[in-house]
Amino acid sequence: MSQLLQVIINGIALGGMYTVLVLGFSIIWGVLGVINFAHGEFVMLGAYTAWLANDQLGLDPFLAAPLVFLFMMMVGFAVQKILVNRVIDRPHLVSLLVMFGVSIILSNGMKLIFSADFRRNDTALDGSWQLMDGVTIPVTKFFVLLAALGIVSALSVFLQRTRMGKSIRAAAQNREAARIVGIDVKKVYAITFALCIGITGAAGALISPILAVQPFQGPPLTLKAFAITAMAGLGSIKGALGGAMILGLIEAGLAIYISGIGTNLAVIASFVILVVALVLRPQGLFGGLRPVDAMAS
Amino acid sequence: MRRLVESKAFRRVAVMLSLAVLAWLVVLPLRESTTNSTLFSLTLMLTTIAISINWNLTGGFTGYVDFGHAVWFGIGAYVTAILMTKQTSGLGIGWPAFPAIVLGALIAGGMAAVIGKATMRLKGPYFSIAMLGTFVAVREIVRVASPLTGGGVGLTLPPYLNRQLFYYIELGLVVALICFTWWLRRTRFGSALIAVREDEVGAEMRGINATRLKVTVFSFAGGSTGLFGGLWAFQNTFVDPDIAFVESRTIDAVMGTMLGGIGTVAGPVVGSAALYWLREVLWANFLDYHLIIQGLLLIMIVLYVPKGIVGLFDPRSTSIVTLWSRWFGGESVDAYGSSEDLVQMNDSADSTNDHKTEVTS
Repeated sequence: MSQLLQVIINGIALGGMYTVLVLGFSIIWGVLGVINFAHGEFVMLGAYTAWLANDQLGLDPFLAAPLVFLFMMMVGFAVQKILVNRVIDRPHLVSLLVMFGVSIILSNGMKLIFSADFRRNDTALDGSWQLMDGVTIPVTKFFVLLAALGIVSALSVFLQRTRMGKSIRAAAQNREAARIVGIDVKKVYAITFALCIGITGAAGALISPILAVQPFQGPPLTLKAFAITAMAGLGSIKGALGGAMILGLIEAGLAIYISGIGTNLAVIASFVILVVALVLRPQGLFGGLRPVDAMAS
Repeated sequence: MRRLVESKAFRRVAVMLSLAVLAWLVVLPLRESTTNSTLFSLTLMLTTIAISINWNLTGGFTGYVDFGHAVWFGIGAYVTAILMTKQTSGLGIGWPAFPAIVLGALIAGGMAAVIGKATMRLKGPYFSIAMLGTFVAVREIVRVASPLTGGGVGLTLPPYLNRQLFYYIELGLVVALICFTWWLRRTRFGSALIAVREDEVGAEMRGINATRLKVTVFSFAGGSTGLFGGLWAFQNTFVDPDIAFVESRTIDAVMGTMLGGIGTVAGPVVGSAALYWLREVLWANFLDYHLIIQGLLLIMIVLYVPKGIVGLFDPRSTSIVTLWSRWFGGESVDAYGSSEDLVQMNDSADSTNDHKTEVTS
């Protein structure tokens, strides 16, 4: 019984982590139609920024996250201006390959600057709370979950209530119609991309005390973000939360119930879930800003 | 310019040049000055070319961009290694090399058929990422299944060093692959592949069994890459999950094909050879930066030369020819838009004519 409770707690904690990781990827895909293959590398960049802030200024990653958010927004804006703008209208292979190039450049550039050493970011919110006999709550992940819920609600309010948020949703649903009613689609895209990269960077800062910070941590995160997004629905905040929780619970269950190789199986889990979900429900589990539409003919 | 590129003389020069390169590659090992390490390095180049050709079969011809193609290489390598190692072969003795390599290729092809059957139901980016997931998943499975695969420690094969023999085997196989793709592109089957890429629904309405077509070519490509994986494992005499399943093999195949010209017969060959040469230069001069430069190069190619090196000389694509005529005037630009669109329209009309007969076959 206490084991099951522990699995659920671990799963929800992991799900909170995946939620912040996946939000930016999901919204970029839903709104711009660009699959950000360098997503994990932007997470890595945020994690390094937070690590630097801690190393140089002694700033706790949870306090550094808002600063990282602002910094990464600027990075995102630059990337959007230089590259993404050129690939929005092109076939998906073009954007995929261009972002793939960006990911190679970022990971190897960071390796050049910081070497391939693993680094761990320290936070004051550390350790674990004893809930009852044999059941503990990991403190860092608990606060990441809180931050994730905060970001999710702020983002929902922004998308539902503000004028800019409404423009973003309109541009995602029908670009031409949005342009006709006077929405500056280019500006909307630029803001969306910058905002999402900001959130992604902040996610990197939040998980830096949990996952070791290193230049090549990106690709598995990109794969997970893709699996959750395609499974749950493109650009759906609800879907990001739900999909992340499902994946978190499954991975936590595998890690505890299958000893030894459970963590290796968890790597496979996201892929299996993705294919099964796409085949059974090609429009995504939760709906979203645009249909998933994954089946060939 | 256009006339020059389309002329018979130009074709003839290109063919002569390729034959000269081939002749040079054939006599190279016979020269005294050629060392074993040069030969091994050239063999690795041939391997890269072969993987690019195979990748181009699905990625270029059918338009299914495979981001995990290196998985077939790893499977071929591992099957060969498992069969040749005494403890894991199941017979008590290690298999001889060549049956093991061939079986490795067959198993890789068979697995490609099974996995392709599932993943090729997905389209576009979903297929790409599903294959990337397959790649990661298979590597993890190999790492976990330690009684069979040796786990993270890997397997050591009986050493056998005859670089020259393997060089000639791979050279022969690559030439055969090039001839095969050249022939395939001219068959009805090859045209049907292009039709699936251009418009899958339309192709199916014409009576093309798109699923069977896609899976067949995917399985062939997987098996062929597996064959080269087995050859590599034997020469390397050691496999572990991190050197048999390397992302960079897929990256090199994609980049080589993009650089040379995706969807063309000569593209992967020219592109991979050029990339190989370029990398030697980059390695020698910018050891730390070479991957960054490669990433920049990938972005540049995709944005500015989407048709690759071969495309530059293809009169039917955006190329030197159209740029030439745009800048200096010429017959190929007319008032109704760039001529390439018209030619492409004619081209697709041709290819649809090709498939009318597919129904009866």
